[in-house]
Amino acid sequence: MRKLLALLVASILAVSLLAGCSGGGKVKDDGVIRVWVGEESAEFYQKICDEYIAAHADFGYKIEVKGMDTGSVAGTITNDPTAAADIYTVAHDNIGKLASTQCAKPIVDESLVSQVLADNPESFQTVIYSTLNGKEYLYGVPYISQALFLYYNKALVTEEQAKTFEGLQEAAKAANTKAITVTGDDGFNMSFALLARKVSDKSTTVKLFEGAESVSGGSKGKSNCQGDDTVAIVRWLQDFASDPNGFKWASPDGWEADLNKDNKGALAVIGGAWHYNSAKAALGETNLGITLIPTFKLTDRAVEGLSTVKAGDEYRGGTFADCKCFMINANSAVSKYAKEQELIKYLSSKDVQNKSYLEVLNVPAYVGAADYIKQCFEEGKVSESEYMLAASQVSMAEWGIPQPFITGTLNTYYYSKNGPAVFRAMIDKTAYPTTGDQILTETESLESIRKGLYLIEYLWMHGVTPSEFPAKLPEEA
Amino acid sequence: MSSTKKAAPKTKEARVTVFERIGKKLSDFGKRFVDGSPGTKLSHFVFGAGNFYHKQYIKGALFLLLQLGILAVMIFCPSINGTPYGWKALKNLSLKNVTEGGDFDPMTGHLTVGSDCKLMILFGFVTIAMILIYFLIWNMNIKSSVKADNDKRVGKKPTTFKEDLAELLDGKFHVLMLTPTCIAAAVFSILPTVFMIALAFTTYNSQDMNDLGTNLFNWNGLQNFRAVFTGEGSLGFEIKNRFLPVLGWTFIWAILATFTCYFGGIILALLINKKGLKGKKIFRTVFILTIAVPQFISLLAVRNILGEYGPFNQMLKDMGLIKESIGFIGLKPGDSEPLAKVMVIIVNMWVGIPYTMLMTSGILMNIPTDLYEAARVDGASTVKMFFKITLPYVIFITTPYLISSFVGNINSFNTIFLLTGGGPTYTGYQAGGTDLLVTWLYKVTIDQGSYNTGAVIGIFTFLITATITLITYRRSKAYNEEDTFQ
Repeated sequence: MRKLLALLVASILAVSLLAGCSGGGKVKDDGVIRVWVGEESAEFYQKICDEYIAAHADFGYKIEVKGMDTGSVAGTITNDPTAAADIYTVAHDNIGKLASTQCAKPIVDESLVSQVLADNPESFQTVIYSTLNGKEYLYGVPYISQALFLYYNKALVTEEQAKTFEGLQEAAKAANTKAITVTGDDGFNMSFALLARKVSDKSTTVKLFEGAESVSGGSKGKSNCQGDDTVAIVRWLQDFASDPNGFKWASPDGWEADLNKDNKGALAVIGGAWHYNSAKAALGETNLGITLIPTFKLTDRAVEGLSTVKAGDEYRGGTFADCKCFMINANSAVSKYAKEQELIKYLSSKDVQNKSYLEVLNVPAYVGAADYIKQCFEEGKVSESEYMLAASQVSMAEWGIPQPFITGTLNTYYYSKNGPAVFRAMIDKTAYPTTGDQILTETESLESIRKGLYLIEYLWMHGVTPSEFPAKLPEEA
Repeated sequence: MSSTKKAAPKTKEARVTVFERIGKKLSDFGKRFVDGSPGTKLSHFVFGAGNFYHKQYIKGALFLLLQLGILAVMIFCPSINGTPYGWKALKNLSLKNVTEGGDFDPMTGHLTVGSDCKLMILFGFVTIAMILIYFLIWNMNIKSSVKADNDKRVGKKPTTFKEDLAELLDGKFHVLMLTPTCIAAAVFSILPTVFMIALAFTTYNSQDMNDLGTNLFNWNGLQNFRAVFTGEGSLGFEIKNRFLPVLGWTFIWAILATFTCYFGGIILALLINKKGLKGKKIFRTVFILTIAVPQFISLLAVRNILGEYGPFNQMLKDMGLIKESIGFIGLKPGDSEPLAKVMVIIVNMWVGIPYTMLMTSGILMNIPTDLYEAARVDGASTVKMFFKITLPYVIFITTPYLISSFVGNINSFNTIFLLTGGGPTYTGYQAGGTDLLVTWLYKVTIDQGSYNTGAVIGIFTFLITATITLITYRRSKAYNEEDTFQ
């Protein structure tokens, strides 16, 4: 018995020793290029890759595609980059962090870089680069476009009513419920209000890290959250949220519970393509309407005391217009580098993007994709809701900007440093801490709204609350 | 008072003993060197030399290999993910001379990684541990040689490697058995704890790290601890304004959650074990069934039941008692904090009482019946028998359980996180109305990336739980009178 135990102990020690000694070696080229894409697209891209290998006998590598949750994949990669795929897919907001933690390597193939520059809108081109040792490199190759839009209950809201917040409010009054909700109260979802743009010229005074340098510790660029239009929008939303048939934050039970046709918690929700299946389940396919984020008109109270905005000015709810990108793992074998770039060039080509729209409803990221989407609908290749899902995103992209996170810092500052919580408190008209440990309890006057917006802008830029408010708050941007 | 007076001379005595011991060790060490064979003398510098001298070649070779291995690591500094071990790791512990980015060759795609301060600290501590191990082996190798010297002196043959191995299975079997446990404790418990404590003295949080470079941070002394009182840390005024309320609620929660479940369980067990009650087994089974359902499922189910569109709110609405849903468990900002606190304690009773009931049932069935008979003969009432026999008996046996349950409730992550998520939340703060230190710690680290402040909260939590556990347990009858129950 003792010998048996001793053997067991010796085995445990030996295994631990071997485990401790393993790893840390050079990455080997095993003849396989592994690709991570979104779970919904894995089958499609595996098929596309198989076709590519069949057509290019000299490619020299097998390709294995795996579906991953793209929302959490960046965390998976940073936790252990050595275990990640050679090529992976992330939303562009992760590029700065993945690049600066050496989880991704630059893309230098000239023909691929040219393709990226030729195909993609300028807004995307500003957020797919990052720097390494002071030099700027392309890191992400866009292939899917994403923007927020509106899901609404067609059984209770007409197409015309869904075009404006006022129309939704009218429908909500009739149904004795709330007009509209959002899928969360984070910085991404509050973009519908903070990034709202004037309909006449698509303008806004809001700036988010404009001109920021794409290096850690570099310039954070310019931000502005204190324009008259933003003040007026906050006041308008305060009133709209107080209205029994106006805006509500998502239920703790989930926005699906709000939208659910039986609960009737809210008639519409601002969401993204990734909410499509849940929205369909909540309303049923026949009741599910999809359109652009509605417009609203500034009220007399909203513009009181403001000089550059007028009552009746029409604004459309804003959005972040984002893209998903292919990136190359820094830990991938050096010998695969050229082929990885070749494969990305193919996977991000217009032709494959079009196919991915038809087969798995990925909205193409290239300029002019709207024409193709329309053509598919006209030719009966996609259903009406599938067409609206893509067309609304393409249209909304014109009303948005990409998410503000060239570096990990700006991402953290925008999302995690209480800016969104302060915004919600302003809309809910509840008290919130401001400078030092001072609490702002009065939240409706022009001065308090300006203070709140100053606070948000300060949090964006510095990540902490200011020690005190400036003697004079800016009257306009 | 008297115990303090008695303790003083003891401490003095103890100090003398410690110094005496150290002095004796040093003198033994010198004696060992002077009296030792040439092999023993040489083994002070070359591991295994004494064993070679006594022809214990395998043992000597193993000692020598260990020495050379550790020295090689210390001198050549092998690295993992660009961070070295060895003397460079000790140098790196200063967290100076770091580089943010790696070198990139566009032609080949080769990219080298930049500095990672987390690994620098970790490898620094591993290197220190290696140095300690080096001296441990050094001592073992000398002792081994001295033993061989002594064996020779008394005319015995120095033991062979085979005999040493056999000894491991006999006289030193405990050493063999405890070695893996000690190694596992060092690697999986002590090292992470030391690493976590070290983080409390750094600027390791997402904000500062991003300003310096994503993997880079510095030492900052006691600043994170000072921030609890000044609010000048990575978590801003939250740590100052919310620490005491969260700590206070953690205590209230731990006390209420422990005692409601404890006494609730005892009462339930008494009821079920009441003489003459029919269907005892059915009752027991029903309550045990609640344990069989995974706790997180029960908690999430309750969360849904009490939610905005949950059946409970719907029922109240249908009865015309309320118009708007009530935020029973503080899921929304602005929901009632006292109501949420009461609800979590009630829900916790539901998931916690069956455990105590089950344990107490067993204890109740084992109370000697002659105690009750004697009490009855003396004319004791049922209430008196409960307070004089049943309760002391149960408390005596369950004191360790009570303490572990109290500490467990201080760290009761599941109940709070799954039920209320710490809510209702307060704008500007991560810590909500029902957050415990442990759930707050989760938010501070995972959501906010303030690892250094999280480490401070972790250290405080540890100090509190360790102190309470030690004091309560050492004062309990279960500890002081462990052999008897009177």
